[in-house]
Amino acid sequence: MRQFMIRRAFYAIVTLFILSLTIFTVVRLTGDPVTLLAEPGARAEDLDRVRSEWGLDRSWPVQYLAFVKNVFTGQLGESFNYEMPVSTLYFQRLPNSLELALAATLISFLIGIPAGIISAVRVNSFWDNFGKIVALLGLSIPGFWLGLVLILVFSVWLHWLPTSGQGGVQHLIMPALALGWYFAASLLRLTRSSMLEVLRSEYIKLAHLKGLPGYVVLAMHAFKNALIPVLTLAGINLVVMINAAVIIEVIFAWPGIGRLLYEGIFQRDFPLVQGVVMEAGIMIVLINLIIDLLYAYIDPRIRLSK
Amino acid sequence: MGPSRLTRRAVLRSAAVATTALAAPFIHARAAAVVPRGKMVLAWHTNIAPRWLDPQQHDGGATTDNFLDVVHDALIKNFRDQLYDHLALAEHYEFTEDAKSATFRLRPGLKFHNGAPVTPADVKWSYEHYRGAWASVLHERTDGAEIVDDRTLRFEFKRPFLDFPRLIGTANVSGAGWVVPAKYYEEVGPDGFARKPIGVGPYRLVAHEPGNKLEFEAFEDYYRPVHVKQFTIISVPEAATRVAMLERGEADIMYFVPGELIDRVKNNPKVMLAPVVSGSWWLEFPGFQDPKNPFHDKRVREAVSLAIDREAINDAESGGMGRVSGNWINDDVQYAIDWPKFPRDIAKAKALMKEAGYPNGFNVDWVTPAPNYYSRGERVVSQLQNIGIRSKLQVMERAVFQKRLEGGLKEWPGVQIIMNGARIGASWANWYESNFKCGGYLAADRICLRDLDAKFEKYMSSDQPAERKTLAEQIQREILEDYYFVPVFRHAFVNAIGPRIAAQRWQDVFQTAVTTGYAYPWEDIELKEAEAAEK
Repeated sequence: MRQFMIRRAFYAIVTLFILSLTIFTVVRLTGDPVTLLAEPGARAEDLDRVRSEWGLDRSWPVQYLAFVKNVFTGQLGESFNYEMPVSTLYFQRLPNSLELALAATLISFLIGIPAGIISAVRVNSFWDNFGKIVALLGLSIPGFWLGLVLILVFSVWLHWLPTSGQGGVQHLIMPALALGWYFAASLLRLTRSSMLEVLRSEYIKLAHLKGLPGYVVLAMHAFKNALIPVLTLAGINLVVMINAAVIIEVIFAWPGIGRLLYEGIFQRDFPLVQGVVMEAGIMIVLINLIIDLLYAYIDPRIRLSK
Repeated sequence: MGPSRLTRRAVLRSAAVATTALAAPFIHARAAAVVPRGKMVLAWHTNIAPRWLDPQQHDGGATTDNFLDVVHDALIKNFRDQLYDHLALAEHYEFTEDAKSATFRLRPGLKFHNGAPVTPADVKWSYEHYRGAWASVLHERTDGAEIVDDRTLRFEFKRPFLDFPRLIGTANVSGAGWVVPAKYYEEVGPDGFARKPIGVGPYRLVAHEPGNKLEFEAFEDYYRPVHVKQFTIISVPEAATRVAMLERGEADIMYFVPGELIDRVKNNPKVMLAPVVSGSWWLEFPGFQDPKNPFHDKRVREAVSLAIDREAINDAESGGMGRVSGNWINDDVQYAIDWPKFPRDIAKAKALMKEAGYPNGFNVDWVTPAPNYYSRGERVVSQLQNIGIRSKLQVMERAVFQKRLEGGLKEWPGVQIIMNGARIGASWANWYESNFKCGGYLAADRICLRDLDAKFEKYMSSDQPAERKTLAEQIQREILEDYYFVPVFRHAFVNAIGPRIAAQRWQDVFQTAVTTGYAYPWEDIELKEAEAAEK
């Protein structure tokens, strides 16, 4: 187990190293951020001054070392546009993103799991077909379109909800619905297939033969086991929702990490993009590492396999 | 500083100073009489960078001024229809005839938001420590700033500096004339200041969510009346959301209504469109100096101009709310000349093409519009087909476009047309220097007309206003007569005003529309409910 843990930790470090190198290079390939700052009347010497202030006149290796050093110190560098440490910005926005992501996860659970279970239990019935349509719509309707339609209907026409921004529960409903909708569809599909697989297994048949009531078999035996892959997906979805709900956060002017990333990309704010991507990467790598370790703990075959 | 001569200008200036001084007590009395009430919200169209709250870091672009005018104030500034010399913090100023010194006398009793008095030492510190756009020029040409008395400061220049008032007085050009509290700035540093700025402007910052929201409260010691008590600027990047906010009353002013949403706003009787005529757009022909290039022939360039349907482009791109004008330089800057609208005449254009040896037209490799205005490039492509010029549209992301402009001719091989646009403040020379001059920041080596550049150098080194004006007009005339640039139109930066704002017409809110697309002076904006409460 110890060897397994060391190996997995090593893989995690290598992954983060590759991620850091990739994001560092890719943001620089997109162009010079100072040219985006430049208005047509800007003067070359003023732009050179900005380049120097932002450290962009240094060689790439020097800039990379500074970036790695910043990652290790936890500061993640200073944003060009915000003139603040990226870590401060990230953790300022994190609660907002968490709030939205948790609400969206709740909505995706409330829609996706029951619908998935009903679809699996009533295969090829009206409810199954309805569930398939919901899943199809969820996966194919673009989030930005759904968001704008929600604003138009519930804010502009009905005057029920505020259009955008962060505040009380009222502000949370539409962005959470628009964000959770897509993930509800993916949860629905996974719950349905997972439940179908479990419902066809021998121990479920045995449970029925033992005379257990249908709902007990469903809830206590089938659903519990079908839930494992669903929860794994939900965990990954949550990380994605926290860090990359870009479109929804932009449409609803939600001050979260996705919007921060969008602004960073839009403004070529290298430290900001690098920092947000590294934070997201660290989160995903850590969650995967924990899941791997838990799997290995639960199933000895995993830790013994090379 | 030498003694000032008695000239007509000096007499007029003295009269203006006297009038201002006599009016000052009444202005203060009026300021005291107004009680700020209510709350207004501005839906801002991009993210909000904290550096825009720090005049010391002015990037020379037309964005910072929206924020500077909320929190800060300048010695002199653009205001309503005054291009640069509205007396703001300065009670009066004197720019000597020989342009070698400028003296500013501060209004009495000015205070920063933290209660500290505004002193000439703050003005001097702000100018000397300024490091934003044009800092190098300003510092290089300034011999020193001398504190004359507790309200007066004099700048001395090494040689005549005719552009000084325009450079420091135009809010979207430089921040050197905007005053920050020296002691506080030194205490908190640039980053700290950008996060918690203290100024002398009509509103003080009370809350700051970086990138997202700014909340202000009326500064009651401001020397002009401030009508609205609370002012919030929220960043809402999505245009449809901004429009919805305005429709629901969540926002009172919104910037940038894109073309596809103009009709929706127009058809809503509760809200008002505010189409501010903004940047100028023109066509240019990189590499036209090469005799093999079809655009080398002036007749071909003229044919292009005759083929362009400017009114149609204005209708489609700005809902007809832009302006078809003759010059490629905006008329709000010094020495920009008026030029008649260019006609559209396809028959004449075809005849010119035939005369030039292109009866069947020719192929253009690319027409490249400045991002993200791709649709107007498409219209040019389609209109040029009428005279046999066959071309394709090339779209680029903004940074790539800028980089290629900077890269010069080698980045634009073959036969190309660029559709470019700009809004640059203060002087026509800033337009020429960046977009036309050989070696200019954006022009690079695409144009390079030595005789015009020589005249421009003469203009720059001249300290005779009459000579400068003549040269400026001559250069602009030659560019237009020879179709080196083909002006297209001035587009509209379309904004909108919600029903709570007291305004009969949009110009009541966008009072400084001659020089900016934004709604300042902020202190003048009033709410209907506040009006009613006052009555």
